[in-house]
Amino acid sequence: MSLIHIDNLSKDFRILNRREGLGGAFRDLFSGDYRTIEAVAGISFDIQPGEIVGYIGPNGAGKSTTIKMMTGILKPSGGIIEVNGRAPYDNRIRQAQIMGVVFGQRTQLWWDLPVIESFKILREIYKVDQKTFDRHMNMFNDLVGLGALYSQQVRTLSLGQRMLCDITASFLHNPQVVFLDEPTIGLDISIKAKIRSVIKELNSERNTTIILTTHDLGDVEALCQRIIIIDKGKILYDGDIKKVNALFGAYRTLKLQINNFNEKTIQTLTDKLCEQFGTENGITVAETEEFWTDVTIDQARTPLSDVLNFVMSNFKVDDVRILEISMENVVRKVYDGALG
Amino acid sequence: MRIYLPIARATFMVGLVYRFGFLFTIIGNVVYLGVAYYLWKSIYHYSEVIRGLTFNETFLYVGVGSAVFVLLKTYADWFIHYEIREGNIANYLTKPVDYQIYNLFANLGSLLVSLLAISIPTAIMLGLVFRVKVAFGIGLVLFPIGLFLAFLISFSIDYFIGLMGFYSESVWGLSITKEIIVTVLSGALIPLQFFPDAIQRVLYWLPFQAIYHTPLMMLTRPNQGLNVFLPMMAIQLVWAVLLFIAARLFYNQAIKVLRIAGG
Repeated sequence: MSLIHIDNLSKDFRILNRREGLGGAFRDLFSGDYRTIEAVAGISFDIQPGEIVGYIGPNGAGKSTTIKMMTGILKPSGGIIEVNGRAPYDNRIRQAQIMGVVFGQRTQLWWDLPVIESFKILREIYKVDQKTFDRHMNMFNDLVGLGALYSQQVRTLSLGQRMLCDITASFLHNPQVVFLDEPTIGLDISIKAKIRSVIKELNSERNTTIILTTHDLGDVEALCQRIIIIDKGKILYDGDIKKVNALFGAYRTLKLQINNFNEKTIQTLTDKLCEQFGTENGITVAETEEFWTDVTIDQARTPLSDVLNFVMSNFKVDDVRILEISMENVVRKVYDGALG
Repeated sequence: MRIYLPIARATFMVGLVYRFGFLFTIIGNVVYLGVAYYLWKSIYHYSEVIRGLTFNETFLYVGVGSAVFVLLKTYADWFIHYEIREGNIANYLTKPVDYQIYNLFANLGSLLVSLLAISIPTAIMLGLVFRVKVAFGIGLVLFPIGLFLAFLISFSIDYFIGLMGFYSESVWGLSITKEIIVTVLSGALIPLQFFPDAIQRVLYWLPFQAIYHTPLMMLTRPNQGLNVFLPMMAIQLVWAVLLFIAARLFYNQAIKVLRIAGG
């Protein structure tokens, strides 16, 4: 039996149309002018026990809304949602016992107290007995090495340390499923790697199901076997990471600041690249922010270094940056049929 | 209920962390007692008894009143409103806890910290510095119960206002208004005996006087009979239960705004 069963799930929000200015604000007081936004528009999937699923998509895609429905915070507008065979919003307190949640942007730890106090409070709230608690704490200590931090006030922890504590805290009551909402947001590379290995260990040690939302494709690559891509409330892709992996791996974005940038630059650059590398070159050119030209390159077809050399010798370039492909670009590629 | 005890313990510890807040609470109260002493001394300059109260009784009332004011001021309304507005309430909704009971126990912890910070200094000031005399009677025994019931009423009102966070971006105006109404109508500022009789009769039935006037009467006039205290406590109890239930119903209604409209 699947742990999470979602069938044709949807969620609408009614939002008041706000008018401009002071007069508008007054009229809004009596306004009945609502518009409906479909944050989640009929999604279906099943998640099996022990899976790590990457749930990704650009900002406003409906990720958090889905998570909030799975955790019982939001009530769905339509469709079926079951976690461990029960509707989350009707059994909030009972369901809370079998799940753990980490919202990357906010902490569940007590800000002013030593870390260990938060763990003790959670132990009581989730009714974990002392023996199990001690065993878990020892395990976390072996895994994360947080022992030294336990006596520190949460407010004095670095963001990365706090996140490690938050994640281990969400596993304290041995939940069947843990929701990690942007767990690596704002962290540097080394602590990200640490967090990923901790998540992986906890998953394999306990066979805990993990639903991970993230903006960092590195998280997904490192952790998930399965990936669900969502955009505008609909599922674009649900399946093996390997297929998508090729997509992340092969694409790079070259950001160029071209001297004397004008409205013709994009067109000229596109034409010259076609001349040099042929029309089926896997290169797209776009202006994303002022004075910056983004050249997205499929390395399977044209090597990045060739493009870079060509651009540098043909244009006067003030500044260059090379980026891994962004979430927005992955979604665009999926729309363009990259996953066939 | 047992699972909420550590919450009270934790807020108690948080209170102890802020040692300077502790200190300034004491200093602020000592200054207030000094000012109130000279104010009421001059009011009592020309007569021994005003509206049935001697200077000793009035000053005890006002002095202990200021301490009770500090005790019951838990800022629950500001705190809950903030948690709702910032979306931190999601942390509670994903835990097997009841939000109202959780907050009740959190406030109980702060109450105990304030009790520690305020009761001993106030007792020393009133007893040793100002030589205020306390009469003996059944009221002294009832005082802790009256104070606890007052805390429950005060908490429910604050919790109720905090929940307005589901509907409103700012709770500032509402909180200040509540503060003024409670301070004046509860007898926290001036003993209720100084009010006109007709108003006193109305106030007797309202929840506000149950917060300050009732426990303060137990302390300033402890030698009154149970026939005076029991009805007062019954009113306290009724308000405590009514407001607790009302706040609970309001939460069930308000949470729908979040659960349907999103956080």
